[in-house]
Amino acid sequence: MPQYMLALYDDPSGWKKLSPEEMQKAVEKYMAWGKRPYVVQGKRLAADSGRVLKGVNGKGRATDGPYSETKEVLGGIYLIEAKDYDEAVQRTLDHPHLEHGTIELRQLYS
Amino acid sequence: MTAAQLSTAHDAPAAGNDAGGDTGVLLEHLFRHQVGRVVAHLARVLGPARLDLAEESMQEAMLRALQAWPYQGIPENPGAWLFRVAHNAAIDSLRRGRFLQENSGVVLAELTRGSSMAAADPTFEEQLRDDELRMIFMCCHPEIPRDARVALSLKTVGGFSVREIAGAFLADDAAIAQRLVRAKRQLREQRVTLDLPSAADLDERLDSALETIYFIFNEGYAAHEGEDLIRRDLCFEALRLGRLLAASSLATPRVHALVAVMALQAARLPARIDEAGDLILLEDQNRGQWDQRLIALGFHHFDVSIAGDQVSEYHVQAAIAAVYTRAADLRSIDWAAILDLYDQLLEISGASPVVALNRAVAVAKVHGAEEALAEIETLRGSPQLRDYYLLLAVRGHLLQELGRREEAAVCWRAALECRCSEPERRFLRRKLAGVDELESA
Repeated sequence: MPQYMLALYDDPSGWKKLSPEEMQKAVEKYMAWGKRPYVVQGKRLAADSGRVLKGVNGKGRATDGPYSETKEVLGGIYLIEAKDYDEAVQRTLDHPHLEHGTIELRQLYS
Repeated sequence: MTAAQLSTAHDAPAAGNDAGGDTGVLLEHLFRHQVGRVVAHLARVLGPARLDLAEESMQEAMLRALQAWPYQGIPENPGAWLFRVAHNAAIDSLRRGRFLQENSGVVLAELTRGSSMAAADPTFEEQLRDDELRMIFMCCHPEIPRDARVALSLKTVGGFSVREIAGAFLADDAAIAQRLVRAKRQLREQRVTLDLPSAADLDERLDSALETIYFIFNEGYAAHEGEDLIRRDLCFEALRLGRLLAASSLATPRVHALVAVMALQAARLPARIDEAGDLILLEDQNRGQWDQRLIALGFHHFDVSIAGDQVSEYHVQAAIAAVYTRAADLRSIDWAAILDLYDQLLEISGASPVVALNRAVAVAKVHGAEEALAEIETLRGSPQLRDYYLLLAVRGHLLQELGRREEAAVCWRAALECRCSEPERRFLRRKLAGVDELESA
């Protein structure tokens, strides 16, 4: 079965408005989604912006992470199984992350 | 109320062994309750002047949980995780020098010790309970006005957000936020400490705490407008705070009496609203829906409360709730006993008109509607009861019993003009519709 990567972007400052009870509910929703049988794994990314490596005049050079214009950052990824994009989209559409953030869906070649 | 909620006052582990890990299920209200414990502990270590830093550190810990747990899973011991991460956040803030003071070295050492404290250490667990108790007494200090005490207790000890508090009290967010800022300023100006009350001021400070807790309970219990779920949570938070006090060495019989009232009344919450969200009067409630665990809890504390020779308002309220609860059905309610108790309550409360109104209902049951109506007439001039829908609703009910239907209808229409909740409004409309039907028949 083909695998798809879900890249979850959001603006972490949005979380700050939640009450402790709402934060707990949010965690529980993510956990419940993550338990679905077609979810292969989830990985969290470090909260910093990482490094960008580029070739400049034929040489690699590293700079501090991609500062995009938007406030949304890539917080983590999930891998899921689905037979095609349609199914992958269907399986992702009710992800709780979509209550406030963005998910980028990409197929992985095995 | 679930088993989890019932257990939180005594058994919830501080830094806890609450289910996590593989089960992926969090203890109900874990975050909210953990706020109370962690902030109380941090504030004691950091000093009450740095309450804001304590709150920010816990907020930071919860945000990190939100970023990590969805991908990595819930840690084995989520309560301890939050506790540790909040400690580390406080340590980081101190090291960055934002809050640097001369005693920072000592504070840092204690924070570091706290962050590595084993969750299972029973003496540490005791320490945390003690910290939370200190925080309750600080938030409920008699030097602070009641509204501020209520908001501060809910925010700091109860882990409610400004928006949730505003939703429960029908205030706007900014007003509650401002009330909190003022409350904290008052704490600083009055130099309120986290010291437990001394023998000399125990009574005064305990009274202030009990009043605050009972106010929170009643706000939740009264079927005013507002978000239902939050209001129910207020009741259970008040019960939790009451049980924390009752479990401490400072508890007096009054504390147990208050816990008894709250538990016996909260036991009826599930039966109070029907599936359509309509109010069901005590008389018509299905007793099978009353929460037996809460009833048992209520009677336990009621028994403890009569140990002394003190009779407080809470004792009498608890006794009234106990009479209702003990009755096997509507017909076996001992109204004479309830009237006796209301007589006592009226005396203790210094002739409170609200108590007198409730007493009138018992008068009607014992001596008939005519006499009760006469009592109500004397209350109509009371400024406290002006525009109080319940006075009009009760008066309408008595008039109806006496066959004075048109006057009853006038009362209910007037009651509809007062501040009351949607279920109460529907209840009054049903009464009015009943009168109309009789007339057209």
